[in-house]
Amino acid sequence: MNALQLTRLQRLQRRTYEILDGAVADSKSKACEIFIAVLVVANVLAIILESVHELHEAYEHYFHYFDLVSVMVFSVEFVLRVWSCGMKYDPAPGSAWQGRKDYVFSPFGLVDFFSTVPFYLQLLLPGADLRVLRMFRLLRIFKLSRYNSAMDDMFEAVRSEKDSFSSAFFLLFISCLLFSSLIYIIEGPDQPEVFPSIPAAMHWFILTIISGWGNVDPVSLFGVILVVVTQILAIALAAILTGVVATAYTAQVQRREALYEMEVREVLADGVVTEEERLKLQSLQLRYGITDEQVEAIAAQVQAEKKAA
Amino acid sequence: MNINHAKKTLMEILDGSPEHKSSHYVELLITVVVLMNCSAVILDSVPEIHAQFRDFFHELEFWSVMFFTVEYVSRVWSLGAKYSASEGGAWKGRRQYMFSAFGLVDFFATMPHYLHMFLPGLDLRILRVLRLLRILKLSKYNTALQDLFHAVNSERRAFGSAAFLLLIATIVSASLMHFAEGHEQPQFFGSIPHSIYWSIVTITSGYGNVEPVTKAGEVIALLTGFLGVCMAAIMTGIVASAFSNQLSRKKAAYQSQLRQVLADGVVSDAERDALRALQMKYRLTDAQVQAAMDEAQKGKNK
Repeated sequence: MNALQLTRLQRLQRRTYEILDGAVADSKSKACEIFIAVLVVANVLAIILESVHELHEAYEHYFHYFDLVSVMVFSVEFVLRVWSCGMKYDPAPGSAWQGRKDYVFSPFGLVDFFSTVPFYLQLLLPGADLRVLRMFRLLRIFKLSRYNSAMDDMFEAVRSEKDSFSSAFFLLFISCLLFSSLIYIIEGPDQPEVFPSIPAAMHWFILTIISGWGNVDPVSLFGVILVVVTQILAIALAAILTGVVATAYTAQVQRREALYEMEVREVLADGVVTEEERLKLQSLQLRYGITDEQVEAIAAQVQAEKKAA
Repeated sequence: MNINHAKKTLMEILDGSPEHKSSHYVELLITVVVLMNCSAVILDSVPEIHAQFRDFFHELEFWSVMFFTVEYVSRVWSLGAKYSASEGGAWKGRRQYMFSAFGLVDFFATMPHYLHMFLPGLDLRILRVLRLLRILKLSKYNTALQDLFHAVNSERRAFGSAAFLLLIATIVSASLMHFAEGHEQPQFFGSIPHSIYWSIVTITSGYGNVEPVTKAGEVIALLTGFLGVCMAAIMTGIVASAFSNQLSRKKAAYQSQLRQVLADGVVSDAERDALRALQMKYRLTDAQVQAAMDEAQKGKNK
């Protein structure tokens, strides 16, 4: 194998990586994306329809062959991804497996693996529980989230406020322990059938938090007070979560505007706006979802500051 | 020439331009007729009232249809003046109106009545539903509603991802519930489409109408219910953020307009009117305007 052939192979590898990764917007990677997305949606529909008894009886063979073909396609996809991810970092010796490891242990890589490979297990061990297998098949729906960039925004927003979220959950956790222990102590002797243990009382607590009423009427005065406080806590928790999400989104938008403004300032610093810079700003505007009015306002602001300086 | 002038005036009146006093009365008249129509539809459904005032309702419907027809025809006709011949001709403005959401509402709230005259065998229930469309005519006069749409539209990506999350959550929880309880409670979880109903009830209104019997089902039900709380929080949070961002966008737009006005040092009457109109349009309070003014002055002095 000479050097030229190796580069050709590497070039193919790099091209495969580009197409599958979708970072570079071209028609081939778009088509590949749409193909996989359609196949995933068809798979999910098949899982749903297959669970209807009559349909399963009538079209068992079709479902089976469809699943077989899908597994083939997803396997090829997985293998290609693992292979091409060797090109993620510069092709220095040893770095190929770095990119592969990155992918295989990323959430997407794990989803790709576990939604496909258990099928082969079934071939080897025909006695495996079919329900477990079907649950793994359901994982295929998460393959879609790779193509939803707004999802990334949401996770980014949540991650930036992770302290507030974790404090809300900490509050939930503490009050769950406290209130379920209290209600067990107070109401347990009177209603042993609904509060036989603290875990059972925890079940009541979570039920109250999510639906406002935990299917149990208290009999003692302290019990009534506890139930009412828990219900108020449920409202407070919903309000806290809502407020945190709202702040997270607002902060994200402001952060993006600031980033965009910084970029504009940089572009205008040397006094000329090249074609390349203009395109860059435009793509940034599109990605951040900034309106034309905002762009105008930011540009005017920067211009005014420059004039004043 | 004269007819063109009349067309333009009619367009401005119907469009609610503040230059004509009569545009305010036209708006009021249409609103009153729409409200009367809606009350009539509601009252007409009460059997006793229907029996007693049958003829009156019939007359009212007839005259309302006449009124709305005149409104529709004059809107279509007058909008011919929106663009001059060089900008695309008379029919550009008309087409724009006819295929806008308002134009479609105006059409479908009125025209099916004529169909009924020609084809008396038509299902009356459809006609009555279309009559209710008339209430949507009011939304033309509600600028706050348009703000709401703008705010939602600007955050449509976030809403899209929330809806995607909801879809995934529904399908996954329904499928898991089917796997866990399908054998125990086949009447509720016999198939995934069946348990999707349960899953939607649980997400929207908390703990669902069906008690799970297995431990796994119990855990899935609790998680699904909690997910419902989170989904409500996400939706509300996005709306709140969309509104607050819209407000700051409006303030920024107003401020940049203000800066332009103040740039040459003099504020002419026309400029003052423009600022006033902008303030009305964005529904900014006087205090907000004052704050923007102070800031702009400070920026200038610096």
